[in-house]
Amino acid sequence: MRAKTAAMSRFACGLFGLSLAVFLCPPSAGAAALKGKVSASGGKPAYGAMVTVSDAARERRETVYTAEDGSFAIRTPYAGELEIRARLAGFADATLTRTVAASEIASVDLELKPFKTPEAASDALSASAFNARLPWRDVTKERPAFISQCNYCHQVGNATTRIPKSHEQWMATLDKMEKGLMSLLSAGEKATIADVLARGFDGKPLVVAQSYGASPTLARAKVKEWLVGDGYTFVHDAMVGHDQRIYSTDEGHDILWVLDRTTGKLERNVQPDIDLPRGGMFSGIDLPIGTFTGKHGPHSMAETSDGRIWITNALSGTLMSFDPKSRAWRTYGIPDDPVYPHTVRVDRRDIVWFTIAASNQIGRFDPKTETFRITRLPSNGIVRWVSQELFPTLLRIGSWFPHQAYHLNISTHPFFGERVLPFPYGIDINPKDGSVWYAKLYAGKIGRLDPETFEVEEWDTPMKGPRRPRFDKDGILWIPAFDEGGLMRYDPVTKEFQSWKIPSVGLGEYETPYALNVETKSGEIWMAANNSDRVLRFSPVSKTFMSYPSPTRVTVLRDFSFAADGSVCSSSSNLPAYAIEGGRAALLCIEPDGGAKDREALGVW
Amino acid sequence: MRSDTSSRPFLVQAYTVLLVVAALLTGYFGLSAWGYLVPAAVTLGLAALLWWGRWPHLLRIVLDLNVLSGALMLLVVWYGGVLGKSKLDVSGVMMIVNVVTGGPLMAVVGPPILAALRFGRTLPAWFAVNGAPSSTEASA
Repeated sequence: MRAKTAAMSRFACGLFGLSLAVFLCPPSAGAAALKGKVSASGGKPAYGAMVTVSDAARERRETVYTAEDGSFAIRTPYAGELEIRARLAGFADATLTRTVAASEIASVDLELKPFKTPEAASDALSASAFNARLPWRDVTKERPAFISQCNYCHQVGNATTRIPKSHEQWMATLDKMEKGLMSLLSAGEKATIADVLARGFDGKPLVVAQSYGASPTLARAKVKEWLVGDGYTFVHDAMVGHDQRIYSTDEGHDILWVLDRTTGKLERNVQPDIDLPRGGMFSGIDLPIGTFTGKHGPHSMAETSDGRIWITNALSGTLMSFDPKSRAWRTYGIPDDPVYPHTVRVDRRDIVWFTIAASNQIGRFDPKTETFRITRLPSNGIVRWVSQELFPTLLRIGSWFPHQAYHLNISTHPFFGERVLPFPYGIDINPKDGSVWYAKLYAGKIGRLDPETFEVEEWDTPMKGPRRPRFDKDGILWIPAFDEGGLMRYDPVTKEFQSWKIPSVGLGEYETPYALNVETKSGEIWMAANNSDRVLRFSPVSKTFMSYPSPTRVTVLRDFSFAADGSVCSSSSNLPAYAIEGGRAALLCIEPDGGAKDREALGVW
Repeated sequence: MRSDTSSRPFLVQAYTVLLVVAALLTGYFGLSAWGYLVPAAVTLGLAALLWWGRWPHLLRIVLDLNVLSGALMLLVVWYGGVLGKSKLDVSGVMMIVNVVTGGPLMAVVGPPILAALRFGRTLPAWFAVNGAPSSTEASA
């Protein structure tokens, strides 16, 4: 009977056409909707609270934000025993389970109450609250290495990483990071960080206030999350393909995940084997068992006009293509001793460009002729020159003693820290002239490579840690400054920089923006805020930031990609995934107007 | 065994100081990356051989190996494409040989010492004086 009613409902909606149906029709069969209000203690409306609905299998979640009157409305594709949770900074979660039938519009009111204990309040804080209070003797001198080398793989300060430890135990942890993840800390920096973490993470609850900001714009948004893999899955980048599916690289397991956002179906494509040991060229280091079982280490993706997905394989030093239609893979060995192919982009002529981070190179690959041209970038100093020249050899020595990391004992980084490599990282193509631009993470530079003459020019950035830049449609380069929690703008015509500090959610906190992307129509910049579980949206017109709090604690995002429907998508990529709230990595999309559409459809305004 | 070090030539003193400085710098590196303690010790040992004028053949062999492995390593790294997949294995072996024979700093200070050993008069004479057995030792 219910199915029949739903079918009639769908038929009626069809009369109005698809666009009208989005706004006017009740949810279709198999889709439950919820509406109601969230109040804080005393019945006061909770503004900006997140209402998250998890499906019956707890594999997918959708979230909307409450309006000023505390109201919310959400249409989901779920039915059955759903979990509904309201969350707002400063309050304990309000969670309930409700069985909601397909096509049902359930009314749910939730009340947020104060935390019962100071410990519970402290546990709900983001990593940024904890690492902002670490007792650095000289923040400007000592903290940059911590941000640069510790925060880029994971948050330090969340529930799994702020466990009280002795200096010796922290030294052992930092040794593990060095031997297992190639953290480039000098011996002195390691000792300092171990000392600060031992004194700073003392297990005592923090009493601080955080505000993620509520706004009418936030109340219009909706977040969708799809869980991926297990607690060891390491999804790195996510990219929306021309077919509107989300492609995501699992760097630890040589898998390309493909998500159909409409059906929620997740496809698992395993990369072809290669004649290398576990860890690929990095088999000498002690890669974390479980998280890294693969050989290729697929990292970044870009798509050519024929629909092929191009993947930089960081561990095997190869470029790979994947045809989504035939599911055929092709592997291309990169010449000239590449170490850690990193970000990849495709220009208007379908030429594939990519950075090779640890060997300081830019790669160019022509899919038609299947030929490479590798350009060595300026070394930026003699120490970096020596280190980059010898790094491939050092890795090979390491591979003779699998997973022992012996070769690090003759590396230069224990003395110089990250200053041993320039590390070209993000890359993008200027839409105005087709030139290739890159950011050098450790050298603190951006550079331009002429695609015809291969001449290179570089500039120092005003803020440190330029990571993954992107061009807007007017040829302005936007650059996240990871090490200084900022956003930079560079105009290649005037050769002038502008920079902004990212606002924090609490006193003294800092932000770690890993990547950004520019939405073509609006010109707005969407960027990661990986220290405080947020996504930022910057308006180049008003020069202001707004933030979207993540429904999930421990949200570390990588690249951003836009779907044709306006969704802003990324991957929740904290290493390890089991440290993420719920213990799983996820693909996620923010629909900036998704919440508003649900409100209109359900008549809640 | 006789040792006449009372009239130690300036060249011996200068090269010994160079080697000691190289050993100390390498050792300082070794405080952060212990692998560099090996070349530091080797360099210090060669400084001692030079200072006391002993075992010139050992000094020369170690210096030869060090300079040769360093030069070969760079050549292979830069122009070793023809070696294919073996390229990094060859440069890796060269790097290890270089490290255990005194390390990269030795490869910098080594060539003038080698040149003085091969083509000069002072160092061979110094080793001849101190390395040659005394008449008593010879008759015994």
